[in-house]
Amino acid sequence: MTWQWAVRDLMRHRTRTALSLLGVAIATALLFDMVLLSGGIERSFGQLLLSRGFQLRVSPRGTLPFDTEATMDSVTQLVAALRREPGVAQVGAVLGTSAFAIRAGRLTPLVVYGVTPEAQGIYQLDRGADLSATDTAGVLVGAPAAVRLRIGIGDTIRLAGRLDPRIATAATERRVTVRGTVRFVYDAKDQPSIAVALPLAQRLTGKDGKNRASFLMVRVADGVATDSVTARLRISHPATSINSIADMMAQFRLRLSYFRQLSLILGSIALIVTVLLVGTLLAIAVNERIGEIAALRAIGVSRLTVLRQIVLEGMLLTIVGGILGVLLGAATAKWLDSILTSFPGLPAAISFFVADAGQLTFAGITLLLTGLLAGVFPAWRAASTPIAATLRSDAP
Amino acid sequence: MLIRPGLSALLLVTAIAPVRGQAPGIPIAIERRFAETAHLRVGDTLRVSSAAMPVPQLAHVAAIYDPKADPATVMRRDFHVRLHLGDLGRLLDQPDRVDRIGIVLRPGVDADSAAARLNRTAFGYDIFPSRVIAAQSSTTFVVVSRFHRAIAIISILASTVFLLCLMLLKVEERRRDVAVLRFTGISRRTVFVALVIEAAVIATAGSAIGVGLAALASSAVNAYYQHAFDTALIFSEFASGTVLFAVALSVVLGVVAGALAAWRMVRLDPVELWGRAA
Repeated sequence: MTWQWAVRDLMRHRTRTALSLLGVAIATALLFDMVLLSGGIERSFGQLLLSRGFQLRVSPRGTLPFDTEATMDSVTQLVAALRREPGVAQVGAVLGTSAFAIRAGRLTPLVVYGVTPEAQGIYQLDRGADLSATDTAGVLVGAPAAVRLRIGIGDTIRLAGRLDPRIATAATERRVTVRGTVRFVYDAKDQPSIAVALPLAQRLTGKDGKNRASFLMVRVADGVATDSVTARLRISHPATSINSIADMMAQFRLRLSYFRQLSLILGSIALIVTVLLVGTLLAIAVNERIGEIAALRAIGVSRLTVLRQIVLEGMLLTIVGGILGVLLGAATAKWLDSILTSFPGLPAAISFFVADAGQLTFAGITLLLTGLLAGVFPAWRAASTPIAATLRSDAP
Repeated sequence: MLIRPGLSALLLVTAIAPVRGQAPGIPIAIERRFAETAHLRVGDTLRVSSAAMPVPQLAHVAAIYDPKADPATVMRRDFHVRLHLGDLGRLLDQPDRVDRIGIVLRPGVDADSAAARLNRTAFGYDIFPSRVIAAQSSTTFVVVSRFHRAIAIISILASTVFLLCLMLLKVEERRRDVAVLRFTGISRRTVFVALVIEAAVIATAGSAIGVGLAALASSAVNAYYQHAFDTALIFSEFASGTVLFAVALSVVLGVVAGALAAWRMVRLDPVELWGRAA
């Protein structure tokens, strides 16, 4: 008895086999999507954090970068101290704030990143030239800001900070020239952002007096263990929070535990549905063929062969339904991802459904075992059929 | 018009040895979760500092409050405290600055037109009617709701196929019984109706069990998340509309699936039916 025999048995009742395959396919699609969702956003977030090669973030004590509006002062000294630390290759400061672009008498609110251009990890240059460390008259614009302000490389805009509503004036105003267009790595879709040199951002917000920044990005030297650098920096800079990628992902995991739990529950339900569906189909198929099975046993077919045959049918249903389910799941994952990535403020580069070979392999093996489990009881019933009694009662 | 300014900030709050009976420093209200975690009581003394004012200032716990359950902050684990606006402004070295201002309009004044009028003279700030802010701040939950609906569609699809398959199998299992009934002269119509009634009974009983399981699952979900997040928010709402929809859908699907399978069976000749069953 072989796989071909199992196919022939299943093809006897095409409608029910087709419905069962469809049921297994939908359950597998759900399982596939839940496996992608369970750790997808974490993987995507981790990839995003590492995309510019900075392994550590230094933020005000007790906070995560951009989690609050808290800032650190005396950043020039802090950056210099961090650069002197062994194992540290590069340190860059970022100040996130808001300002207004004044064009044709209109105020357009913008997100402004003050950066140290020689060590920045928040944007990628698309066109034009990058800023230099001393360039306080240049600006880099992201595509949404460029579209909103209708500006391009070489254009000039006026930036205003700290508006005083009582006298309707800006406390600080600077004329800057667009040096290049960039893609901001952590920006939400359509977020109008610009980048300027850190001193200019500090002046715009009035935070130049205390030399403030929101957080620092640290690149660890090649070949140096990030954990050891993290531990050392925590001891030498106790007034700050030293966050490794693992720390930030752990925080992220905590906040998104809902999706992990949901995926676990729905994934389990998908497996239960598969067991019930395949198990019911096989149980009824065995009932219908009980006389035939008894006849086979009577002519010398062994219990093991009968058992294997029924289990094979269950496995076949699960495998074919599973393959269809993966295809269906890939399509539904795209649909579900398009819904979840519309969360406000979420970086545009984040995806909720990201594949992981290990997890998918585990899910595949679990599904196969589920198919196997579903077939075990009907197979055992078929194999333990009393031959004579069944043949007698089944005789027309 | 009543104006209520507000300001929020990150503070470092340190509990120091309780000095009960006295009330040194500025008054501060702390949320219950913080009070329980830090073992604080009304009257205890704290040190409060900010990035702008790193030198700690003395404060005393004037009140312990339970924040209103808010889905937007339920995942956050940070503690909240409340200070008088002037005290917080001084602590942040930002006197006379606020994050936002709440405005209560006189009865009968339209919020949209008032906002439009104020926005005409606004410089560096925007006026939003509460309705707009509510719509913006609930975007996250709109997305979650859309995601839940999408998952529900997939689940309903899976359940539908499962139900169709089960009903088909259930009816097909009766092939020999149907053949015997037909041999004894029972009409196609009677057999069909009997099979559909059987399908309806199974679907109804299954739905009732399903509703019971759902009620248990809903209670378990609420108990777990309310405990995990220390909140009174309802995470799974066992709504009568949802129950009715689920029951109606499963009964209708069960009956339709049963009817389809029964129709397939009764249109066959009894001899053929018996032959297939053998």
